[in-house]
Amino acid sequence: MKRRGLLWAGVLATSFGAWGVSARAQDINVGLIVPLSAPGDATGGQLIRRGAELAVDMVNQQGGVGGKKLKLFVQDSQGTPQAGVAAYRRLVTEDKVVAVPGFFHSSVAIAVNEVAKEMGVPTISVQASASDITAKHYDIAFRTHAVDPVRVSTWMEFIKQKGYKKVSLVAETTDYGIGLTEETIAQNKSGKFGLDIQKVTFDNKATDFTPQLLQVKNFKPDLVINIGVGQPLDLIVDQATTIGLLPNTPMLISYDAPTRPQWWKLHEKDGSGIYFIAYYSPKSPLSDIGQAFAKAYRDKYKEDPVYGALNGFGAIEILAQAIKNGGGAEPKAIVKALESGTYKSWPTAPVTFPRADGVYWHNWVPPVLILHYTKPLQDWKEAEIVVQYSKK
Amino acid sequence: MFSTELIVQTFISGVMIGVLYALMALGITFIYSIMRMINWAMGEFYMIGSYLQYMLVALLLGPDLWWLAIPISATGVFALGIAVQWGLLKPIFRKPPETRDDYATVVTLALLLLFRSLATGIAGPNQFTPGSNLPVIMVGPMPLAGARVAAFVFALVALALFWGVLRYTWYGLALRAASQSRVGVQTAGIDVLGIDRMAFGIGVALAGLAGALLAPVFLVFPTDGLVTTVKGFEIVVIGGLGSIPGALIAGILLGLIESFGAAFIDSAYQNIYGFLLVLAILVLRPTGLFGERGREA
Repeated sequence: MKRRGLLWAGVLATSFGAWGVSARAQDINVGLIVPLSAPGDATGGQLIRRGAELAVDMVNQQGGVGGKKLKLFVQDSQGTPQAGVAAYRRLVTEDKVVAVPGFFHSSVAIAVNEVAKEMGVPTISVQASASDITAKHYDIAFRTHAVDPVRVSTWMEFIKQKGYKKVSLVAETTDYGIGLTEETIAQNKSGKFGLDIQKVTFDNKATDFTPQLLQVKNFKPDLVINIGVGQPLDLIVDQATTIGLLPNTPMLISYDAPTRPQWWKLHEKDGSGIYFIAYYSPKSPLSDIGQAFAKAYRDKYKEDPVYGALNGFGAIEILAQAIKNGGGAEPKAIVKALESGTYKSWPTAPVTFPRADGVYWHNWVPPVLILHYTKPLQDWKEAEIVVQYSKK
Repeated sequence: MFSTELIVQTFISGVMIGVLYALMALGITFIYSIMRMINWAMGEFYMIGSYLQYMLVALLLGPDLWWLAIPISATGVFALGIAVQWGLLKPIFRKPPETRDDYATVVTLALLLLFRSLATGIAGPNQFTPGSNLPVIMVGPMPLAGARVAAFVFALVALALFWGVLRYTWYGLALRAASQSRVGVQTAGIDVLGIDRMAFGIGVALAGLAGALLAPVFLVFPTDGLVTTVKGFEIVVIGGLGSIPGALIAGILLGLIESFGAAFIDSAYQNIYGFLLVLAILVLRPTGLFGERGREA
């Protein structure tokens, strides 16, 4: 009797196991690593997640990829390399994903790529900009975002245009912050800008930046570049306003956080006058799939999609096209397809990932702009476009 | 080079932040001194205080009544603390003392994860601010956010009140007695589990108060209590576990060391300076500046 029970248990377990394998075989599993808690920029991560989830829904509603449904597995990187690497390992070994887009924090993308080059499942960085993400020329590393040299070139053009001479870089001690400060100092030297640059760095887990900002105020700069990500970025704006650094000294924010709906909720009183980097001009048209996504996004979230959501959507769309056109959902086939194909994403310009030189390896760069809020509670789509930079 | 104004500004900034850190440390050290357990979820009680403050100001009272929201938030956290002690910790304290530490650690770590996950699940990962209508206030040459000055004043008042209750009331006497000998107060006919309940409630209410006070200064999000908790534990080590004056003085010391280190040595290592002080204290005076050597019965 006992033996028969064991036999049945074995049969059932085998059946369920086979069913599980069969169920998995119906789907194409795709990972997503984004920051969903501090010290990561959780709002940034959530926007990418929204875009990716909606993209998966849209692809599946149109029949999936080669008759198979896409299934998204989301992991929180917390903005830290260790959590990001653990998330990648879990996605690859347990969830059997075929690719891992996402990545907001450069430190996370760089650390994950070191593991990914051994495990072979490609990554697509959608909002991480440090040079090393693609400059190491790993086969598995792809990116659809602005790189450090382009971002810095954009603000150097802005500095030149405004005639600023003294610039303070207030940067977090991460690959992102250090990469951008080093690139700025290098371009200042090589481009003979003759700027007097002050570098003030901070730990991104800190909450009180008053000592750093007092140093900046003491330096009397013409421009402060806020190279914080997430909560430090917002605290620097508030605390700089308190000590009188803002609005007397202009501040440039190093990424597009002010385009998010949260900006004016946090900075109703001190958000006006801010300059900020953006990667998408509202005056530029979206592609047909970009427009379809924007409509679906507005219907679901009752707000316009910003760059993070658009690029999260774009990464999944590109992957779906690569799997469909490249001959399969195997990681190696995806890498080959991404390298050789031309893809449609949210902008009208085609997306490619050539084996190009230096930092442009496997990299598609969106247009980089500097926008300016000229009045309180201004819609980012109406912000003044101060600089529009394109890679020459 | 460095101006006198910068030095004075850095000093004021350090003292201000130090007192606010001390409030958190006081909660940790108070619970320990009575219950002989570390509450690992202190940061989450801080977080709950900050969310309560945000919700009260943003949804109910409005920015003009921010000051009313502060005691309500602290009282809300106090009530939650009482419930946690009654439902989760009291049964542990009925067991033999040897097992208490392990259980208390597991329970408070579980609470940490629960509260943090609930905050993310309910309010999402975004940051919030209750805002403040208070103007910038000049303290000497240092312009300070009105909310920060208000937090500093509230913290000093709370610390003074706390000290007064402990020093001059019968209940304070019972609390002090319980911190010296739990068996002793039981033999005097005092309900030591009732003392625990109040101690836990007051301890977490101090964290909730810190959260409510700092909500407009440091923003509100699910892990906003993390940094303050780490500082709180650093202060407890520096000042001495169980020492209330130690918490205040060590808080100010930590605030000053971090501010001056960041302003005049290297701002990248702002959080390291406090840890260096902790290491120095552990080597030179392991019981902390005001701690006393423990005696196991």
